[in-house]
This record gives sequence, C-alpha cells and structure tokens, in this order.
Amino acid sequence: MLNVENLHVAYGGIRALKGVSLRVEEGEIVTIIGANGAGKSTLLNAISGFLKPAAGTMSFKGKPLGRRPDIIVRDGICHVPEGRLVFANLSVENNLAMGAYLRNDKKAVAADLERVYSLFPRLAERSKQSAGTLSGGEQQMLAMGRALMTDGDLVLMDEPSLGLAPLLVQTVFEIIGEIHKLGKTILLVEQNAFRALSVADRAYVLEQGRIVKEGKASDVAADPAVRDSYLGAESKAGG
Amino acid sequence: MAQFLQQMVNGLSIGSVYALMAVGYSLVYSIMNFSNFAHGGVIMFGAYFGFFAMTQLKLPFPAAFAVAFVGTAVLAVVIERIAYKPLRERNAPFLYFIISAMGASIFLENIIIATIGPTFRTYPDVFGRTSISLGSVAIGRLDLIMFVISAVCLAGLVLFIEKTKIGRAIQASAYNMKAAALMGVNTDRVVMIVFALGGMLAGIAGVFFGMKYTVYPQIGNITTKSFVAAVFGGLGSLPGAVLGSVLLGIIETLVAGYLSSQFRDLIAFVILIGVLVFRPTGIMGKTTEDKA
Repeated sequence: MLNVENLHVAYGGIRALKGVSLRVEEGEIVTIIGANGAGKSTLLNAISGFLKPAAGTMSFKGKPLGRRPDIIVRDGICHVPEGRLVFANLSVENNLAMGAYLRNDKKAVAADLERVYSLFPRLAERSKQSAGTLSGGEQQMLAMGRALMTDGDLVLMDEPSLGLAPLLVQTVFEIIGEIHKLGKTILLVEQNAFRALSVADRAYVLEQGRIVKEGKASDVAADPAVRDSYLGAESKAGG
Repeated sequence: MAQFLQQMVNGLSIGSVYALMAVGYSLVYSIMNFSNFAHGGVIMFGAYFGFFAMTQLKLPFPAAFAVAFVGTAVLAVVIERIAYKPLRERNAPFLYFIISAMGASIFLENIIIATIGPTFRTYPDVFGRTSISLGSVAIGRLDLIMFVISAVCLAGLVLFIEKTKIGRAIQASAYNMKAAALMGVNTDRVVMIVFALGGMLAGIAGVFFGMKYTVYPQIGNITTKSFVAAVFGGLGSLPGAVLGSVLLGIIETLVAGYLSSQFRDLIAFVILIGVLVFRPTGIMGKTTEDKA
C-alpha cells in the first residue's frame, strides 16, 4: 500500500534520514521503533508532505505520493501528529468536523461521526466543550477521532502514548487495535517499543536515520540486541 | 452631557474604521504570527484607488468603492506572494517577515511618491457636509456612513469566520497550521484568503480616511493607530481588535474634546506602552510571545 524507497531527508544541516526503505501492506499494523532522534517523526513528516525528501521515492496505492500535505490527505493518508495538536480554540465537535474537511458526502460523514463517538464515548459527552479543556488522554482520543474523520485508509500515528499515564497507555493501545478492526492500515511510531511490538504485525528498527532491522514484530521483539536497547528499560519499568 | 454624547458618537465612528484596519492586522497575526507592517501601504493604495476611480474614471461612489476594495484585496495577495510566501516556504524566523513587511511598506509609499507625486488630494464631496441631528447630537453624514458600512463589514467577517467551512479552516490554521494541513486544508490558500480579506477591509478603511481627511502617500501611517488598537484588544483576536479599536476611537475623541487635540495622538502611544507593560496579552489576546 505504502512504499518508501531509499528516502533521504535533511533539514537544518542535519541528515535526518539516510536511505530509508520500507513498505506497509494493506491491513497491516507496522511499527517503527527507535530512540529519541532516530528520525521516526521525520519519516512520518516526510510521508505526510511536510518535509521535502532530498532523494528517494514514495508511492501510495501504486501511485507516486502527492507533494503537498492536503493532497496526501485527499489520497487517503491520515496522520495523528506527535503532541496531538488538537485545535484548542475549537469545540470537540468542530475538531471532528475539521477532520471531515475534504468530504462532501454528508451521510457517510455522519456515519463516521457516529462511529468515532461510539469508539470514544468521552468525546460524545464533551462534544460542545472546547478541545483545550480536555485532558491529555482525551486530547489523544480526539486527535485519533479527528484523523478517522478524514476517512484515510492508512493511519500514521506519531507517539500516541507519549506523556500519558500508564493506564491510559493501555487504553490507547486497545484503541489502536479497534481502529485496525475498522479496516484501517496503521503505521505506528513509538518509543514504547514493548507495547508497539505487541500490537504490530511487522516492525522496523530505526537508528540514526537508517533501518537497522526489520521483520515480524514477534521476531524483532525476540532479537537480543533489540531487547537490550529498546525493551530493557521497558521491562525494568514494569511495562 | 450633550457634548459627551457627541464625542462618543464621533469616537464610535472613527473607532469603527480603526477596527477595519485592526482586524486586518489581527487576521494576519493570528495565522502567521507577525505584524504585517505593509498593511498601511495597502490602506494608502485603497485611498488612491477610490480617489482616482472617482476623479479620473468618473465612477459613482459605490463603483469607486468597489474598485478600491477589490484592488486592495488583489494588492494584499500580491504582496503576500512576493514578500512573504518565499519566507514561509523556507520556514524563516518571524523577524525576516517583519523586515520584508517594512520593505514592502517603504516600496509602496515611494512608488506613489515617484509616480503620482507627494501632493495632498481631496476627495470629491459625495455625502455633503450637513449633519443629521438626533436630539442634541449631530452626526456627520460621512461619519454615519463610515460607521454603518464598517459595522456591516465586521459583522460579515465574523459570520464568514464562524459559520463557513473556510472560516473554520482559518480558525484551525490560526491555532496550528500543521494540524490544519493534516485535515486536508490547503494552508497556502488559507493564507491567500486571509490576505484578501484583510486587504479588502484595508481598502474600505483607506477610502474612508481619504474622504474624512485627504489622500497623501503617508496616509498609511494611520495604521499605527490600528496597530495600537489591535495590541490593546489583544493581537490575534478579532473581537479584541474590534473592541480595542472602538475604545481607542472613543478615548481619542474624548481626549481631543476635553483636553486638547494635540494630546490625541499621544494617548494612543501611552495606551500602547501601558498595555505592553501591564497586560501584554491585551484585553482578549492569545499570547505574549514575539509580539512585534
């Protein structure tokens, strides 16, 4: 579904990605794990059109990826950004309406809104409230709900569990499973490697702008080097 | 009491035109986080467009008015494309935008001086000099028309921003450009629409100032007042810009009426300094950072 070939991205004099290749097949959950600064967010921002690649090609559903963020959304890639970036000045309802910005089929939009509200009952309760008044966990749900409203087929998620209490982290990963069941393909970037590997089908390990390992999520999780670098701290922290 | 009411009426009228300019500042500030100092140049062009449409093209006032605000909407968009878009594409720091805006402002003023000269020009008298009496208060026809048209434009702008899909996209972009783009909003187009709206209102304000005073290349300097008003109300907030403008208009006319008209301009800057020192967010502003 998504094919990235030999992607190089540089900004501010830093070569953030040095020849990254990856693919995501329809229906998969693929995760990219790596340390802070490995280039994970850079990769998602390049796919979403915010950063111009210095070299490399990207294609989605067999066609070259569009060149502007809004065109990429139109083509069916939605992105739940790091830090959630909900519109704090708009109501929950209007945040979700923004998700449906490009869609004209009112019936389908209403059906999707229904679906988002049943997935996140908290959002339904707070639909008239300004998004800035939501808690961190609720804002994460809103960011996910808003992305679902774009009706994209591929959902990019950037650190959805970042800064959330452990109980909410659990919830977020359950929701990722639910979203997957809705028929969405998911590309998940996470520092919480343990959790990410447990929901994903396949995984890539990104280190200093290069893919150093790839394979089935269970195999990557079993890899001793990965266990040492990414899962050690996690198991010590109690997962 | 009658004099006080009279001053209030005059203040409302001038304040409403300040508001037309101030919302232009605030709209651009809310989206791009910098103060568009080329706005004064656009207002000045509005005054000239209207003036020449009436005197050279012999257009009736409504048509000349339309020529002015369509002309300035286009002008504002062209300025954005030339002076700011290249900076946006490079993610330049906001200081570069300000420098570019000042350059554009100097260019606009001097292109007028170089081509049509620095002379003061007077608009033809359209509305007559007689005033309308409401009890003890007399309202100049021009003042009344200024107030009504400004109020209608501001109400229209609020409706546009609150009720339309593009308006919601503008609000979303004002909060966060990247997040808006992730919803499929063409943020480049949002910027264009914001400049067109700001330019349109600037053109209307320009015609009014030209009619109330005279037309000259430095007439755009009057935007310092609307800048003060926008900061007073809270940069980036449209209701704040309107409130700040109306208050400034009233305060100025009261000062001119009861103290001396020489203190009128002084008070604007006293307010500016006072706001920046004691309440940098203004009455309803969104942030205290980088307000330049």
